[in-house]
Amino acid sequence: MSFASLEFVAFFAVVFVVTLFLQRLRKQTYKELFLLFASYFFYGYWDWRFAFLLLFVSFSAYISALFIHKKASLVIGIIIPLVVLGFFKYFNFFLSSFSILIGGDLGILNIILPVGISFYTFQSLSYVIDVKRKKIKAEKNFIRLALYISFFPQLVAGPIVKASEFLPQLDEDRRITRKNMEYGIQLMLFGFFKKIVIADHLSVFVDDVFKMPTAFHWLSIILAVISYSIQIYFDFSGYSDIAIGCAKCFGYDFCPNFNLPYLSENVTVFWRRWHISLSTWLKEYLYIPLGGNRKGKIRQYINLFVTMLLGGLWHGANWTFVFWGAMHGLALCVDKLLPKKLFSKGILKFVGTTLTFSFVTFLWIFFRADNFEVAWHIIKGVVTLQGGILQPFSWSFLAIAVVGAASALAIYRSKKNKEAQINGFYPLFNLNTVRGLTILFIEIGSILCLGFTGEHPFVYFQF
Amino acid sequence: MKKIFWWLLKAFVSGVLAFAILTSFCILYYNVPVHSSTVDGVTDYSWEKNKFYSRGTEGFALGKTNNEGYINSYDYQEGMDIDVLIMGSSHMEAYNVAMKKNTASQLNLLLGDNLVYNIGISGHNFLTCTSNFEAALKKYAPKKYVVIETSSLSFSDTDLKKAIEGTTEELSSHSEGIVGLLQKNQLLRLLYLQFSNWKGASAQNAPNTDSKTQSENNYEELYLSLLNNLSQTAKDNDVQLIVLYQSNVHIDAETGAAVTTNRESIQIFATYCERSGIEFVDMSERFSKEYNQNHILPHGFANTSVGQAHLNEHGHRMIADELFKIIGGKE
Repeated sequence: MSFASLEFVAFFAVVFVVTLFLQRLRKQTYKELFLLFASYFFYGYWDWRFAFLLLFVSFSAYISALFIHKKASLVIGIIIPLVVLGFFKYFNFFLSSFSILIGGDLGILNIILPVGISFYTFQSLSYVIDVKRKKIKAEKNFIRLALYISFFPQLVAGPIVKASEFLPQLDEDRRITRKNMEYGIQLMLFGFFKKIVIADHLSVFVDDVFKMPTAFHWLSIILAVISYSIQIYFDFSGYSDIAIGCAKCFGYDFCPNFNLPYLSENVTVFWRRWHISLSTWLKEYLYIPLGGNRKGKIRQYINLFVTMLLGGLWHGANWTFVFWGAMHGLALCVDKLLPKKLFSKGILKFVGTTLTFSFVTFLWIFFRADNFEVAWHIIKGVVTLQGGILQPFSWSFLAIAVVGAASALAIYRSKKNKEAQINGFYPLFNLNTVRGLTILFIEIGSILCLGFTGEHPFVYFQF
Repeated sequence: MKKIFWWLLKAFVSGVLAFAILTSFCILYYNVPVHSSTVDGVTDYSWEKNKFYSRGTEGFALGKTNNEGYINSYDYQEGMDIDVLIMGSSHMEAYNVAMKKNTASQLNLLLGDNLVYNIGISGHNFLTCTSNFEAALKKYAPKKYVVIETSSLSFSDTDLKKAIEGTTEELSSHSEGIVGLLQKNQLLRLLYLQFSNWKGASAQNAPNTDSKTQSENNYEELYLSLLNNLSQTAKDNDVQLIVLYQSNVHIDAETGAAVTTNRESIQIFATYCERSGIEFVDMSERFSKEYNQNHILPHGFANTSVGQAHLNEHGHRMIADELFKIIGGKE
């Protein structure tokens, strides 16, 4: 069940109404139990068999945390999600890579990749590690833990919510209120607009170019690569907005996952603004345990590189993702070598932002391409000033204008409010006024009128 | 209770305001007239007469229908001397390109004194046009040529039989009653289009389908029978019939070159046309050549998938060129 579907609208409406009714009973357990059931239904809608896998991962984390004082328990709590992830996501990848290495054919297994596996295994891991680090107490109520891991707004494509952020919310009386609804629904609508109106339309052109890169003019290829960098941003940040807004409607808070990443002056800042929940997770549960910056410069660079390499692999079982991650790792190392505030002010900040955007956009080629050959054709097409189809795709220009306008507005607002850094924001309206309601209805109407009507799943669903 | 009432009232006012604002936007973005059935049977329906239209969902074009509800740069007057009559589908209707860039207008320019009149309209495939053929010749009495455009050459046995017997179902216009009334609002019209596209039911971007079921036994017989009928009708009206075939260019993903995937069926159809005394114009080669030499595709727009959707202005120009070679060559 995709967020951008009528099924989800119906599902959301039913879950909302029942939760509203249950909260009147003032029995938190009923509400939690129902939300857990709804989340499993949501997940099982794709393939009910994998609901058992989700249950298994949740249960192993639960047991492991309860007996965290035993070393074996910690190992099991970490090993189980990693084995599950490794088998379903990476087994065939490593098998085929090994086959190529030895020059033989070991075949592949017919394994279906369960949706959202990368996200819920990471949540499960963070819970066990946080309990071990005594950041949180082991949750004795299995329903609550299972709800944390499977809560439907974040289940299939994040944000990766940390247990220390979500479980305490279950102890509070989080409720559906008008204020939460106003905020949540508007955030969801922003997300739908980003995804259905902009990202999905861009996908038409991007898919054409990446399907047959040799047929396009180099200018079209550049436009397609820029379009992809906007597409993936709107697609994933749109999804995150829907997830955050959806959770907010039920009274729960998720941290923001994006903060104008393309306004970053260097790659380090980019990773503080892009997929924030993943970069935070990688920092806390991989980079710091590896030693972080505590063991000297060389070790810090190695740690950064390894973290990003694995971060790349997390995105997908393909060498293109590994390369993408490795390049980001290298860029972070280079960034550490440069003077700290080199690109922090004035024209140099603009130069830094342009360079960072160009670098990130260039690397998206490897992220989007099915293999290195396609990526090579894309790069070669531009470098050789290849002739071909000129497609001035109008949605690309519209998307660039939207990104430009939103960025300009954010810069203006941050300067006006004298904020230390530029922050993204959502113009939320008071839905108790004619103005606010009119804008809300126009937004809904625009999504319906301009939305892409074909099938295009969220980019991050595959991860 | 009072609070809820006031909120509902505000929501209603806001709804009306939002509806009005979005409708205003649609006047430029998607303003399509309503189909209404024709009494003379030259087409199953035509657009509202003398009506402004605009379309931004696939390409972008503005214009005004003529006094008959077709897209021509001039009005029809009874007894007018038409030299070339163009019949066909939404490709010939050319809702997506500027009026002066469509096949009829470009051919008009090329032919100079000869008058070209276009009654191409959406939903009218080759078989629908054949059922309207006689009525169209009777009404417009073209002096020299009648062109039927088609993007498909394969039809089911049942449809062919119906066309031969003259029992092809008439396309309905849905211009009456509440549905007709609802179509007057452009926002609702666009929402309906979005809904039908979403359902996959819209024929707007329908790909050229050459996969209809045909039995090998009477394939030739049915086609020849239909084409002979058409040819005879044309002869009776002292006019030459041209069947114009145009379909999407297929680009080979590996080589990036244009390929014709249904060459065999094109050749068979061309043979039948020749045997029936019908001029057959196949655009495949010209389209492929234009793509391979200049990377120009005849279909698709800046807001659609590359090479998909309806004919663009390049496609119309190429068709006008090819028609001119035949019509102009024989002048």
